[in-house]
Amino acid sequence: MITLNRACTRARGCQHLLIARRRLSQSALDRLAQPVQSYISTSRDPYLNLSVEHYLLQKSAPESTVLFLYVNRPSIIIGRNQNPWLEVNLALLDPVPQSQPKTEPAGLENVDLVRRRSGGGTVFHDEGNVNWTVICPPKAFTRDKHAEMVVRALRSCGVERSRVNERHDIVLDQGERIADVDPDDTHLTPYTRRAGISEIKPLKVSGSAYKLTRQRALHHGTCLLSSPNLNIIPDYLHSPAKPHITARGVESVSSPVGNIVLSNEHFTNAVRSKFDGMYRSPKGTEHIEVGEDWLEHQAVKEGYAELKSREWTFLQTPQFTISTSADPAFTMDVELTVRNGAVSSGHLRRRGSAELVDLDKHSVGQRVHDIKSWPETLSHMFAGVDSAECGRLGAWFERMLPAQATRRRIAE
Amino acid sequence: MGTIVPRSLYLTASTRLQTQLLQSIPYRSLHTTHHLNIVKPFLLADIGEGITECQLIQWFVQPGARVEQFDKLCEVQSDKASVEITSPFDGVIKKLHYDPDDMAITGKPLVDIDIQSEITEEDEAKLAGGGDEEGAGSAVRGVEESIGEREIRVEGAAGVDVAEPAVKNPGSQPQPERRRSSGKQDHSSLATPAVRHLTKEMKVAITDVRGTGKDGRVLKEDVHRHVAQSTQQQPTVHTPMQKAREVNRKVPLTPVQTQMLKMMTRSLNIPHFLYTCATDVSSLTALRKTLNISASSPDQRLTQLPFILKAVSLAFQHHPLLNSSLDSTDPAKPQLMYKSAHNFGVAIDTPSGLLVPVIRNVQDLSIGDIAAQLRQLSEKARDNKLAPSDFGGASFTISNIGNIGGGVVSPVISEPQVAILGIGRSKIVPAFNEQGDLIKVEELVFSWSADHRIVDGAECARCAERVKKLLEEPGKMMVEMR
Repeated sequence: MITLNRACTRARGCQHLLIARRRLSQSALDRLAQPVQSYISTSRDPYLNLSVEHYLLQKSAPESTVLFLYVNRPSIIIGRNQNPWLEVNLALLDPVPQSQPKTEPAGLENVDLVRRRSGGGTVFHDEGNVNWTVICPPKAFTRDKHAEMVVRALRSCGVERSRVNERHDIVLDQGERIADVDPDDTHLTPYTRRAGISEIKPLKVSGSAYKLTRQRALHHGTCLLSSPNLNIIPDYLHSPAKPHITARGVESVSSPVGNIVLSNEHFTNAVRSKFDGMYRSPKGTEHIEVGEDWLEHQAVKEGYAELKSREWTFLQTPQFTISTSADPAFTMDVELTVRNGAVSSGHLRRRGSAELVDLDKHSVGQRVHDIKSWPETLSHMFAGVDSAECGRLGAWFERMLPAQATRRRIAE
Repeated sequence: MGTIVPRSLYLTASTRLQTQLLQSIPYRSLHTTHHLNIVKPFLLADIGEGITECQLIQWFVQPGARVEQFDKLCEVQSDKASVEITSPFDGVIKKLHYDPDDMAITGKPLVDIDIQSEITEEDEAKLAGGGDEEGAGSAVRGVEESIGEREIRVEGAAGVDVAEPAVKNPGSQPQPERRRSSGKQDHSSLATPAVRHLTKEMKVAITDVRGTGKDGRVLKEDVHRHVAQSTQQQPTVHTPMQKAREVNRKVPLTPVQTQMLKMMTRSLNIPHFLYTCATDVSSLTALRKTLNISASSPDQRLTQLPFILKAVSLAFQHHPLLNSSLDSTDPAKPQLMYKSAHNFGVAIDTPSGLLVPVIRNVQDLSIGDIAAQLRQLSEKARDNKLAPSDFGGASFTISNIGNIGGGVVSPVISEPQVAILGIGRSKIVPAFNEQGDLIKVEELVFSWSADHRIVDGAECARCAERVKKLLEEPGKMMVEMR
């Protein structure tokens, strides 16, 4: 079966792919074995882009170095081991407009929630943000290497305030020019202020995350070029449940962010150019377009299905405990411990009394993202609580661990 | 990875386990001598970045599972990285030290493996968590997988890593062999445990044996043939000497040591001369005491070092030669660069060894600023969080071993700098004041080393004396401050 790459619209970098259903074609195999490979996605689907990225990590030749660039439609990407209830305001994701809490300016419709396979914190992706990934052999890998490459790319576009900071993120220094520095130093700009002198916090424009396997090292990062959503991102990434949850796991470190103000195309060309410079391949690097036809590769298809599944998104959450004790409005403390996204234990205690009502054992294993109605679930969980109280507690839990939002139909 | 993949891997592992269990019976009966079984804890290797703990996300094995070298053991996560950790050798999993979601500590046991064969000292080092480069915790270096077309084509079960050599059709091979390219770097990988045991018994080095198996693997016949061909015939009796561990231990150099080796070898070219000068720091100590009374917290207290750094910087305004750098890349035309920025490298003793992070532009910093930066750097160094941006670009170095001890020291200049200052520990010594009375004085010895190709003794002495005067009467520093 011969399928033309439907997404190929540009003459430059275009390649007609011979794809047989399920089997890797010879040309795809050849490409994955090339010492230097460069891909760019034409799809805005975050599930597809992350699946392709994972596929490249697993299937590209161990000695090869791979660049992959992609842009996602508005979506929130949480780290491998993060807690979506803690990191994200899930209620805002509900595509049903009337039940959506008000944000100023108005929120977006249909923001996807995706758990990626690399570590790190939560980020907001949209069309003004370009994601870059470099996969290389572990012995050539350092955490800064490709962040420095991207800074060189930015500087070649005139963004002289950009540098790599100690956390391997890319930041823009603020304030006025202080000193001359070595222009080749990607960790210093003429605007960098040393600690001790009055510090103006730099603006973060790119965050890094990594996935390391025995044979490959993957480093990917965002790059905020021209996001129209900077003002509402904080609303999405602020969860009302945060003060009430104790959890283990990596928390996001929040930083003030800003747009670089650069076009996607300008940036991607600069990154490719720096990549080509670093990894000069004898044949010249062909930049290959990736589209939805890649779903025809079995591994991509399965990875895609996994990323979209609610099990992956919610059940990979490390253990956490949520409790009403910090909220003064109630007369009783309810505490639930959630393990692997399902309730594992809990108790209820009337304030002022020492008596504990334990969680009903039939409720153990209740998946939080499957809960349809909190008042009803709570009445099953704890004996001897009247419906009015279940209603009040239920409303609170609904705000903290929204049931409707997690039931949303995932946009195809 | 998600819930789907580990299950299929586990199935494959358990199928393999069954196959191996079935085949392990005839396998074991070949051994007539006592087989050495050791249960060793596999430590969580340093993942880099000074990370001391990371969270365990999921296990890919359970106690009792038989693993081969490079099988995935678990996935851990540290701040930004999720890392797959693979087994350093063959064995049986005995104990998992953490549950999912627990924080695993670097350098502490992660999992206990019953190693089913004798291991070399190289492997011992791996058990000690020898991997300090970025990458998964399996510290086997120099063993490359040769990926040919056929390996990429193997898609196998759902989403299985091509990079995962362990997944293969169970029962297809009679012995637990591993796929390896025929590099001779990692000797232990060229043969099965049975063959390795045989080479030890025969007192043959495996590198001497030419392997005729797949990928150059050494088989038992090869060992026997080698022994027959060589003139040495060793008895198969185990002597106690054979089992004894050598007293000397060969270890590779740590990254810090490697760097030191490189730098100091270069420094051999520099003709050093030493100038020492004992400085009376009693007034300085008194001043510090007064200032520290009003310090807001214990770690805001000022030590001697910030004052010394500032004094040296003030002195360098008059003696810029000592802050210069020698460019001798062209031996015919050496050039001297006078540096305007006083970037002082401060040698710090850290858990990984001697590191020299840099405080930049000391000429523009107040003593308080310098103290703050020193504090920050030593915290980072303690936590192993020093970044590459903290190093490099030093025009002069100060090495303070005062917290350890020392009187006179002869420090080594690191090129392209032309001088270095070493400071020991101050001590109370007897001295005479102007009236001829015996008084107690706190003395600190400053040891200056300078490059005699550039700096002559007099210039160095003048600079040293200026620093001494500034510190003996700290008021003089105020006069010079900009």
